[in-house]
Amino acid sequence: MSQNGTVQIESPHRPLILRSLIGPILIFLLACYLYFLTGKIDAPPSPEQLGAAFWPRMILLFLMISCGIKGGEILRGRAKGKTEANLAGAAEVNTLKLGVMIVLVIAAVYFMDVIGFPLANFLFLLLFMRIAGLRKKIVLFLTSFLGTILLLYLFVKVVYLPLPKGQWLFDDMTIGLYRILHII
Amino acid sequence: MSNQWALLGTGLMNTFDPLNFSMILVGLVIGILAGALPGITMLNAIVLVLPFTYLMGIVPSLLLMTSVYCGGVFGGSITGILFNIPGDPMNVPTTWEGYKLNKKGFVSKALGMAIMCSAIGGFLSALIMTFVSPPFARVALSFSSCEYFSVVFLGLVSVVVIGTQSIGSALISLFIGLFLATVGMDEIYGAVRFTFGSRIMETGINFTTVLIGLFAIGEVLDQLSLRNKGEGEQVRTRPKTTLPRFGDLWPLRNSILRGLGIGTVIGAIPGTGATVASFVSYGVEKQVSKTPEKFGTGVWEGLAASETSINASTGGAMIPLLTLGIPGSGATAVMMGAFLLHGIQPGPLLFSKAPESVYTIFVGMLVCNLIMILAGLVTAKFFSELMRVPENILCAFIITFCFIGAFALRNNMADVWFMAAFGITGYFMRRYALPIPPMILGIILGPLAERYFLTTMIGAGNDFTVFFSRPVSACLIAISIGLLLMPFIRGLLKKRRKGPEAA
Repeated sequence: MSQNGTVQIESPHRPLILRSLIGPILIFLLACYLYFLTGKIDAPPSPEQLGAAFWPRMILLFLMISCGIKGGEILRGRAKGKTEANLAGAAEVNTLKLGVMIVLVIAAVYFMDVIGFPLANFLFLLLFMRIAGLRKKIVLFLTSFLGTILLLYLFVKVVYLPLPKGQWLFDDMTIGLYRILHII
Repeated sequence: MSNQWALLGTGLMNTFDPLNFSMILVGLVIGILAGALPGITMLNAIVLVLPFTYLMGIVPSLLLMTSVYCGGVFGGSITGILFNIPGDPMNVPTTWEGYKLNKKGFVSKALGMAIMCSAIGGFLSALIMTFVSPPFARVALSFSSCEYFSVVFLGLVSVVVIGTQSIGSALISLFIGLFLATVGMDEIYGAVRFTFGSRIMETGINFTTVLIGLFAIGEVLDQLSLRNKGEGEQVRTRPKTTLPRFGDLWPLRNSILRGLGIGTVIGAIPGTGATVASFVSYGVEKQVSKTPEKFGTGVWEGLAASETSINASTGGAMIPLLTLGIPGSGATAVMMGAFLLHGIQPGPLLFSKAPESVYTIFVGMLVCNLIMILAGLVTAKFFSELMRVPENILCAFIITFCFIGAFALRNNMADVWFMAAFGITGYFMRRYALPIPPMILGIILGPLAERYFLTTMIGAGNDFTVFFSRPVSACLIAISIGLLLMPFIRGLLKKRRKGPEAA
């Protein structure tokens, strides 16, 4: 065992290294594709000038070089400890819970525009807190409801932020809610 | 000189006028709260208070805005230390050390240290601003795009060499951030890049959405997905804030002084600001440290240096605004708007036309930084109360605030989508050890770096050697290269020492 407590493996574990290389290789290939796309950027107004494509090309070249550096680190085994730590860490993740939380975040953003911020936020808070482990129904409902109302007062009435009202019927519902709460 | 002291005396009396003093208090609280909330930011808070200054005189207006400014640059440190969520990019280095100190059980002391170092940095830089404004501004005026690029380059290099075990990962993260900054319409030629036909993408990717997503959403997903938590496990103790004693500050005096110098100088250079100051200060601190490998694990020097430099940059940023009429940062640009609203043109003539107002601002900033200690304690206590809130409730509301913060930037749902996308990306970056700060700084400084670089090239006829032929630029580039090479040199020296010892 090394001085800092990590376990040093004498010989590299080939599948581990290959898995670690996937990320840099994918980023390298993406950088190559984007570099190809820079050919479609408008040419500079005069030949003496570098043009709008110069800077992104330079950045993408350096990105490709960085992927090479990272690949070199992995092959030399310098990133070994971190790679093993990551895989070990990944085993502790509740994948289903993570997946549901990600879906909730995406759904909240999507539905905010459709059904309006008040309803979308209320439902998001309710579901997210439930997924995160809060079980008491009264607390769930009250926290979501009162929290949404407080946010509406703070950001719509005080800060004048035009939060999404939703579309069609939900637009009218949101405005009706604002009138009931004396926000507008 | 005696006239200057007389003006300072007038400024002191004006500062303690009831209206003016109350503006300082109100501004501090608003600034700290806004700075602490990701997405709201200090800059937004200054913009929001600007309309309220229409009805006031110029002095209370500027005292209100400078107090929001001073409070705001500090505010993000509170949430950074407590929740690992920096309120603003400038608070990222503080988060690295502050949150780790929190995890080690030093949260009270870390909060107190952040408050104290911020107050020291802000107070001393305001003092410097008061007495050395004219010669300082002359130096800044001599900077061209070449020197500006070199300063930005130094900032980018600093973030690569700090806090990372893998230079390759840091470089990948940085260049991804620099690339993302090129999306949209380019500033110099007006060409549209990498929009894939989307009109929304033409306005580019706002760095605040990236910041909120990567740090806040990514952190929440990381925390809540790690293990199953029952409801009973959620309640945590409420930390207090303990101000450091002189004996705690004395060992950090060199870090504080370095942070002060770097923050004031970089703050005085228009177009850079607290973010660059914070990262450069942290990077320099790590390089001069005898134990650089400990940085990122909860090191007091790192916390002290970054916090001091952030608030030191406020005094520095006011120098070119007041003496030349050139704002040193986004916040001072808004303050310039306040000057113009009241029919006053900041610049050299300001000192002769309205000297009492100028010196009231000087004294106001000095007083503001002293009162910030109290305001910081109160606000930290308020945020500390949040630590008692069950984590599942707190995290849900953090995400909600992120939605609102992202939307508030441009009143556009596209920013909320970007924020969500980067939030999920931030989670996976954490899982696979891709450092986040280089990407953030790449997005923030990328447009500046490109603008200054291309402007320099246009002026120099594409001669790259101009960066090395101008003395200030050459020094800054040399320092940057030195910072880049330092880890390799240290490694080589270590190997050499181990070689003879092993023999």
